[in-house]
Amino acid sequence: MFWHAHLLSLTVAAPFVAALVLLAAPDLKGAAAKTVALVGAAASFAGAIAVWASYDLSQGGLQLVEQYALVPAYGISLHLAVDGWGVALLLLTGVIITTGVLATWTLEVREREFLVLLLVLVSGVYGVFVSQDLFVFFLFYEIAVLPMYLLIGIWGSEGEVEAKGPFAFVWRRFKVGGREYAAMKLTLMLLAGSAAILVAIVAMFFAAGGTSFGFDTLQGAAYPRSMQLWAFVLLWFGFGSLGGVFPFHTWSPDGHAAAPTAVSMLHAGVLMKLGAFGVIRVGMMMLPDGAAYWVPYVGAVAVLNIVWGAMSALAQKDLKYIIAYSSVSHMGVVMLGAATLTQDGWNGAIYQMVAHGMMTGLFFALVGLVYHRAHSRWVPGMGGFAKRMPGVATFFVLAGLSSLGLPGLAGFVAEFLVFLGAWQSDHAWWAVPGIIGAFVTAVYVLRVGRDVFFGEGPAEGFEELSDAKGTEWAAIVALAACLVLLGVYPNLVLEFIHQATTEYLPLVLGSGATGVAVLP
Amino acid sequence: MDTLTPLQWASLALFGPLVVALVLGVVWPLRKAGGPAAGLSLLGATVNLAAASVLFVGWLGGADTVRATLPWLIHGGPEGASMIELGLHLDGISVSMLWVVAIVAFCVQVFSLGYLSDEPKAGFGRYFTWQSLFLFSMNSLVLAPNLLQLFMGWELVGLCSYLLIGFWFKKPSAARAALKAFWVTKFADMGLLLGLIVLFVHTGGFEWTATTAAAGTVTLLFFLAVMGKSAQFPLHIWLPDAMEGPTPVSALLHAATMVAAGVFLVVRAQPLFAQAPLTGEVMTWVGAFTALFAASVAVVQTDIKKVLAYSTCSQLGYMIAALGSGAVLGGYFHLTTHAFFKALLFLAAGGLIHAVHSNELSHMGGLLKRLPVTGWTFIIGALALAGFPGFSGFFSKDLILEGLFDAGAYGPLAMLLIGAFLTAFYMGRVVFMALLGPPSEHAEHAHEAGGAMTLPLVLLATLALGLGFFAGPMARLYGLTYHFHLGAVGITATALGLAGIGTAWIMFGPKQGLQGLAAAFAPLGRVARSGAVDKGFALAYRQALLGLGAGVAWVDRYIVDGLINVMGYASLAFGDRLRAVQTGNVRDYVYAVVAGLLLLGAFGAIVQG
Amino acid sequence: MSLQGFLLLAAALFSLGLYGLLTRRNAVGILASVELMANAVNLNLVAFGRWHGVVDGQVFALFNTALTVAEAAIGLALVILLYRSRQDVLVDTATEMKG
Repeated sequence: MFWHAHLLSLTVAAPFVAALVLLAAPDLKGAAAKTVALVGAAASFAGAIAVWASYDLSQGGLQLVEQYALVPAYGISLHLAVDGWGVALLLLTGVIITTGVLATWTLEVREREFLVLLLVLVSGVYGVFVSQDLFVFFLFYEIAVLPMYLLIGIWGSEGEVEAKGPFAFVWRRFKVGGREYAAMKLTLMLLAGSAAILVAIVAMFFAAGGTSFGFDTLQGAAYPRSMQLWAFVLLWFGFGSLGGVFPFHTWSPDGHAAAPTAVSMLHAGVLMKLGAFGVIRVGMMMLPDGAAYWVPYVGAVAVLNIVWGAMSALAQKDLKYIIAYSSVSHMGVVMLGAATLTQDGWNGAIYQMVAHGMMTGLFFALVGLVYHRAHSRWVPGMGGFAKRMPGVATFFVLAGLSSLGLPGLAGFVAEFLVFLGAWQSDHAWWAVPGIIGAFVTAVYVLRVGRDVFFGEGPAEGFEELSDAKGTEWAAIVALAACLVLLGVYPNLVLEFIHQATTEYLPLVLGSGATGVAVLP
Repeated sequence: MDTLTPLQWASLALFGPLVVALVLGVVWPLRKAGGPAAGLSLLGATVNLAAASVLFVGWLGGADTVRATLPWLIHGGPEGASMIELGLHLDGISVSMLWVVAIVAFCVQVFSLGYLSDEPKAGFGRYFTWQSLFLFSMNSLVLAPNLLQLFMGWELVGLCSYLLIGFWFKKPSAARAALKAFWVTKFADMGLLLGLIVLFVHTGGFEWTATTAAAGTVTLLFFLAVMGKSAQFPLHIWLPDAMEGPTPVSALLHAATMVAAGVFLVVRAQPLFAQAPLTGEVMTWVGAFTALFAASVAVVQTDIKKVLAYSTCSQLGYMIAALGSGAVLGGYFHLTTHAFFKALLFLAAGGLIHAVHSNELSHMGGLLKRLPVTGWTFIIGALALAGFPGFSGFFSKDLILEGLFDAGAYGPLAMLLIGAFLTAFYMGRVVFMALLGPPSEHAEHAHEAGGAMTLPLVLLATLALGLGFFAGPMARLYGLTYHFHLGAVGITATALGLAGIGTAWIMFGPKQGLQGLAAAFAPLGRVARSGAVDKGFALAYRQALLGLGAGVAWVDRYIVDGLINVMGYASLAFGDRLRAVQTGNVRDYVYAVVAGLLLLGAFGAIVQG
Repeated sequence: MSLQGFLLLAAALFSLGLYGLLTRRNAVGILASVELMANAVNLNLVAFGRWHGVVDGQVFALFNTALTVAEAAIGLALVILLYRSRQDVLVDTATEMKG
């Protein structure tokens, strides 16, 4: 049973191995390089599906455990295991990287190097979702975050933001909105977050006895309350800056707008989830007292995120910025679900990670496709594209419908659960701005759909547009199918999420917090 | 045929159209072929109609409630996990609505074959795909075993409405109208969603039979959604614009079935609404006001579809007012009769429009001679709407007015009575302007369309004419009893209706009398056509929502992000200053090293000493 | 001989080296001064090793010598490069690396 015993490490390693192959063979160019990357991505996706299939729901807990000592002196080990959340998030990652590689088939500049970085990054993402050791978790986290700098800095597209406002003088030093600016800003803000996380991790390690970085040790250790209070804030800020938490979300619009298609898909689709996942998995679960104290603020900020992101999206004229701000808004839903500290809220938060990941992946795939053909992201200049690209228009509306929470699509299930959880929490009013945010989403998403695709046209200069083809179709249809599947039959993954939530939530709520409840 | 159980029939009714929609959605060559797609869709509608009829006959015979559910979504609470369920619920209310929807949908699809025959093939296929999707959505709403599924169907029919209004999406006005309809209803739907959440948290389920102290809040929130969906003042603004869609769509969605979903929700959730007297009060007044307001706006419209659209708002107002005052039978029976005669009116109007290629009343005239079937069926529909004795609308409207009288709601009753006069008046106006009188030049070459467009009219006209006599069996379906009884209120309403027709005859008949009266009301017409409510909403949208959005975006970009940029700027500026330390002169570095060494030594000496 | 003598000699050497380091303008002179300082340290190491009766001092001195050699090699290479580009080896004027 080699395959089964090493399923997780193989899943994590598959993209990495593909990256090594690409590195070792400089002659691989074009379609050949992309095929290698696709094989690596698909292998990891297959691994994720195998994990889903072999996870025993009736047993629950951590499964498919693998543990290899790395630094015994500090109790650091490569401890991989999957819980119900991991199952869902691995599936998400698998779908996004596979479709991401498919959607990037049209890339023709240094594609080998691009794919190497992309695959390494994805290995990091997989690693985060299955790590049971905080040190390794953090290591994978950094592997996932850092390649972004190069991916955006080298392959990104240029934008420009007008110099205005009280801080217009900064434009003297850097070009706000440019791709190097975006790459640098994203990296610096996320690294600032990482620095905060590192401080909290080290503090937790020593407060828990300084013997092990294992989740089982750190979770349920008797941390002093005062330490929990500041450490939670560090983790909230640190992971939250990747999760798009207000006001540390501003890297996201610039970053996602500048990033090439596959990178936007991965970043908004999966990487931002790492941030929210970190807040829940490390922040809330390991520091329950800190969570209990800060949760009202986390929830209030999340609500602000939802409304703020949606209102900002309303005013954008750049297609990618609209989608990027919608990510900020939807990540607010995830954080809101987390802050409710209810079963439904947590189920909804994780489900929203999956649903939003696929939805935004679809959005960025479509937007990238439009940009690739129209060479413009400027919405007021577009119109009537549906005549030339009816398929793209259809799927854009579908993604929009999922984002505004139409029943039958994945977004509805997630948002419904989160709002249900919010109303059960101590802060019922959270649900109201959340629902209003969903309405504002309907306004901006369908409006941009109309402005770009419907009406007369296409305008001058856009006569040569064509619909999606080949691999692009594969990516779009696969993502759309996932949205429908998850909307019609949510229990497909919700059962797994629910299983893990049932085990984890009591740790935070304090009832039965023994620290061993999650040991296999 | 007896081998199938009611549940199997209902599944057939529900999933038949879904399968058609999926096949047409996925197999694009079939969809783009046009005709075959229409055939398949019609097959789905036929299966749906057959199944619905079987069920309807069964329930007329007094079948028991049948319910079947499947687990759908895990809900976890403090007391453990449970399943939120979806499924089918068959009782008199759902089965009769199912049947109404099935008939109208079938007629509309048949009519569309003729009406849209000039469309490109791909568009034709797309139209029927969405028609099938709508049928599935509406059925899932109607057959919902709990309010959550009703909400899901509710949103899906909203989607279909968006798609079908925007069917001619290359027309900017259609694209805009589709968005407007979706936004307004979506805005209202926030109430339903929030209401469902409140209901769930209080009762642990989505059952309409629940008893809860929060019924007042829940039903008020529900009513917000009802106002959106059933186009009640001031959320009625989307309905007239929705006429941008093809006329058969207006007949099916925006007259007979989808807009009635709001009323259906109130009927369905009657046990909940019954616990909330305040909500009832609000509904009665809002409904009555809408009935009067929309009727008076309908009087001055020049576009035949706009007249009918405002008329729909007005008639829905009657239903809402009835349900608010507890006249459940009246409200629901009027929903049924209205579905038939309003669908008939829209389809017949579609026939007229098709013949003269214009929506304007002034472009019609004298069409009764040229399109006798369409014309006469239109007149039947108009008489039913006007509440002419013997027609179906007469019975249902009488029930509503009697109900309000019994409830002691005299204010709303007065509004509805004036509304009854106006209704007869504007329908008379349309009939006299479009069907009688001298033909306009557009109408010269008008001729009757083929059987696809006339047969549905005849079927619907039969129902509009005859359904009133089946009020008794229908009442039994809802678990109520009906006795015909014409009281003072009924007689007054009938007299007012006849007066309305008479006034219209005087003003718009051959004599063209009372023009002074028309002139006196001209300012009212200008006000009504100016769309003050519409402008208010446009202002709220542009100034408030978009303005706020622009403000937030500006703050986000130039203040929130600006501060982040300032941090970057400050680091760079600080580095600039610090750079001066690096002189590049080796000796300066050596001095620094030596100075550091001395400082360290001094520090050590102090610490040691 | 007493330890003191060695330490005094080493201190004197070190001070000479430091003086040279601070006052010389010629890069070769600076390098030579650094060598002086390094050897003062070596002297100290050997002296202390002897005084403690262990070989650590000598080991470190040898190690240090090797390091100094490497440093001198790199230093002289730099000086040659400096001369090639500027035709002199005066460090005061070579300030192109300033920030």
